[in-house]
Amino acid sequence: MLLKNTYNELLKIVSKPRSYLGFGALTLLIGIILFAMKADGKNIVSMVTASFEQTLVFNGDIVNGNLVAFIILQMLIVHIPLLIALVTGDLISGEAAMGTIRMLASKPITRSQIVLSKFFAGAIYTFLITIWMGFLALIVSQFIFGTGDLIVLNSDGLVIIPEDDVMWRFLLGFCVAFLSLLTVATLSICLSAFAENSIGPIVSTMSIIIVFTIIGTLEVSAFDAIKPYLFTTHMVAWRSYFSDQIPYAQIYFSIFVLVAHIAVLLSITLFKFNKKDITS
Amino acid sequence: MKNLVFLFLLFSMSMYAQKAEDLISKINSKFETIKDYSADAYIKADIPMLKILPNAAVIYFKKKDKFKIESKGITVLPKQGFTELNHFLTKKNDYIAVLGDSLVIRDRKTVLVNIIPNNSGGEMVLAKIWIDVKDFIIMRSQITTKSNGTILIDYSYGDQIKYGLPSEVKFEIDVKKFKIPKSVSGDINSKKKEDPKKKNKTKGTITISLSNYKINTGLKDSIFTEKK
Repeated sequence: MLLKNTYNELLKIVSKPRSYLGFGALTLLIGIILFAMKADGKNIVSMVTASFEQTLVFNGDIVNGNLVAFIILQMLIVHIPLLIALVTGDLISGEAAMGTIRMLASKPITRSQIVLSKFFAGAIYTFLITIWMGFLALIVSQFIFGTGDLIVLNSDGLVIIPEDDVMWRFLLGFCVAFLSLLTVATLSICLSAFAENSIGPIVSTMSIIIVFTIIGTLEVSAFDAIKPYLFTTHMVAWRSYFSDQIPYAQIYFSIFVLVAHIAVLLSITLFKFNKKDITS
Repeated sequence: MKNLVFLFLLFSMSMYAQKAEDLISKINSKFETIKDYSADAYIKADIPMLKILPNAAVIYFKKKDKFKIESKGITVLPKQGFTELNHFLTKKNDYIAVLGDSLVIRDRKTVLVNIIPNNSGGEMVLAKIWIDVKDFIIMRSQITTKSNGTILIDYSYGDQIKYGLPSEVKFEIDVKKFKIPKSVSGDINSKKKEDPKKKNKTKGTITISLSNYKINTGLKDSIFTEKK
């Protein structure tokens, strides 16, 4: 029943025009970035390497597909949560708004299974968005710009990663990026269980992300104690795979925090939906 | 008597200048036998705030000043000092050479020649070169520039000593401090503790090992045109 309902939920996602907004927006945004990098990539990158280029000369293809993929991933990881929340924030509240949730709850399926099927459908949608981003960012970029060593800008300097050592980092990076986007999807599904319309959960999800991101970026010692437990702090954990010495302990902690968020938010959703008075 | 001492000093200085110019002439005469060359290079860089693995490359040079490096990946080289010094030394009217102290560098007796550019508008402010008085090769140079600080270069020689081409060149360069906000780099989670030894390190080294020299093979100009 769970699988069948997950399939039904996927059909609902596929039938909504807003589900394609994410794919369309990603394609457009990445297209613009690719065009900008093709037109003026060297100047864009020289802004990063400028302080070194007073004394050093960088030789080789600096602007390559790997660098473009890294830039795309870094730029879009902030915006993709909105595209995810647009769909997943509507999964429960959308049905409440349309009045179809009563019919769904009257079917021979438990409420927990309804929530889990919506969660799995949301996870599959999030996975497809991540795959699409990976395809456009990495495969299309490498097709246009070729491959090469990757220059990564960190706050304490530049790391140049050899070409042969890049792909596995991207693969694991995308896995962690998927996990962080799944956390956003679960958050919006959770908020969706509390709402009767779609706008509330979507706006609330983005507000939480913005507030948490600002707290995480501020270098204020008062926030130091809570920063490690904010999921937004770990949404950039994918980046750790591009360090000179990969901080595996830090990555595992990030994965733990993200999985814990998913588990807690899903539990809250299950509890709320099971206790919910369905009156619509 | 005073005039005699003054004349003696003037004569001594001109002798020193003459000797410095002779040494540079001998280096230039070696350099003049080279029309072009290519060599395999292995580049190791230890630069603060820049992490890069050693890389193999091929270096091409053609007179007067055409230079190109080809590598599979990204390599870093100093902005100044690879071929510019030899090229500058051939322009005899552009500088004054003054003899300095002698010094033993890696068991070779060298003398210091100070190169003072005549034109104050150029990038080079002063160059010091330590010349091996037996084989007439540059063992060490120190180039002080206007915008790139001071570059110390140590040369080691192998098979191509007769051409004055080194088998290893070690650059020590000044590196300016590099710090960008985490919000710009996107590296908001980094909590790396700075190594106190490296914290104030502002000198970097680049070591280039050169082998498999191919000299005067008639390199085409098209090699030096950048691919678009």
